[in-house]
Amino acid sequence: MSSIFRNFKTKSAQAKPLFKYTFNRIFLIASWIPVLYVIHEHVFHIGKIEGISMKPTFNPTANIRDHVLLWKWNVKRPETLKQNDVVFLRSPINPELIYIKRIKGQQGDLITPRYPDTRSKVLIPTGHVWVEGDNVHSIDSNTYGPVSTGLVIGKVGYIVWPLNRIGPVPDGGRECRISMLRNQGLGYGGLGGELTDLGEFGDDHDDKN
Amino acid sequence: MDIRIMGRETLRVFTNAVKAAALIHLFSTNFFQFNETSGDSMLPTLQVSRDFCIVDKRYRYGRGLRVGDVIMARKPSMPEQWVCKRITGMPGDIILIDPSKDTLSNLQLDGDEENLKLKELKTKEEQENQKNFDQYVIIPEGHCWVTGDNLSHSIDSRTYSVLPLGLISGKLIYGWYIPSFFNFKQHYLRKMDNSDLDIDIDIDNEL
Repeated sequence: MSSIFRNFKTKSAQAKPLFKYTFNRIFLIASWIPVLYVIHEHVFHIGKIEGISMKPTFNPTANIRDHVLLWKWNVKRPETLKQNDVVFLRSPINPELIYIKRIKGQQGDLITPRYPDTRSKVLIPTGHVWVEGDNVHSIDSNTYGPVSTGLVIGKVGYIVWPLNRIGPVPDGGRECRISMLRNQGLGYGGLGGELTDLGEFGDDHDDKN
Repeated sequence: MDIRIMGRETLRVFTNAVKAAALIHLFSTNFFQFNETSGDSMLPTLQVSRDFCIVDKRYRYGRGLRVGDVIMARKPSMPEQWVCKRITGMPGDIILIDPSKDTLSNLQLDGDEENLKLKELKTKEEQENQKNFDQYVIIPEGHCWVTGDNLSHSIDSRTYSVLPLGLISGKLIYGWYIPSFFNFKQHYLRKMDNSDLDIDIDIDNEL
């Protein structure tokens, strides 16, 4: 019984400096903001996808913006970036913009680019990757060439929104490494380096697509 | 009861340490950072060793950078490594890559040990070097050209071509030579070039 009275007394004594109490609480909560910032910058982050360059993998419907879990730790090394990873990267054309593309070739690979790149093959230098959007109408490495992995901001792990598409990132895009195209017997011949009969990896302007 | 209080205190010290480290990291990523430099590619601006620098991070990603600024950037071919170079070309500039390339291979040492001197060979290889004056590059949008101040000992844009502005992490504003920590008389703090300029100059009016 006496303990109840004791608690009641001390609590009312604490109620007086209300301003100091709220200020302390706000300061306590705010002191976690730098930690959250560091985690947001260097560990992971929920990223929103805008644009159509990764259709149909992301943003297949016009009015829903996909959100993804973006993994940012140790992601600027060429070893952590694997083929077919979707990455967020700083644009080589304008460093204030962030692009979302899929890695289609790593350092040392020989790549067959497509329009608007007119070369028949491209060798990817050390520390660079070849990125392409899943959509045919995307501005990607075929415009600006191989991209240094130092420009990569994060790797997409899972789709977290909308709820009916939660899960790992589906595969997409075309195979453009010459070594893989050769192994599949799809013919890389001709004096001009034309690709012959690539089936489903062929020209996206085909009628059957 | 003692152990519980000690545990709680330890947790409080630990969380405060984490918060402080995060605050310092936030400040050093977005405002000013103190770094060590090493190497001879920026002589005489930066010494070979024990030369530290203060980097202004508000100039990262190329914001507000001009020709002549000394910047800190990731190496394009090896992004875990940081390089410190000077910007000598911005987007749209036409750069002559390297007129001095391979010129030293034409020189030959002549004479005995006491009177060693360089004898220039006038062979057709020397005439071939004239073609170094024909190799130009136009810097594309979003990239820049960087060279070290010590051109003979610097691996820079003449080797790895244009540097994307997205790789730049800041501009050097102060150099601080610290030969020994406690001997304050020998410390040498100096401003780097262009660190006073933060006004925008209207290019059209200049011409």
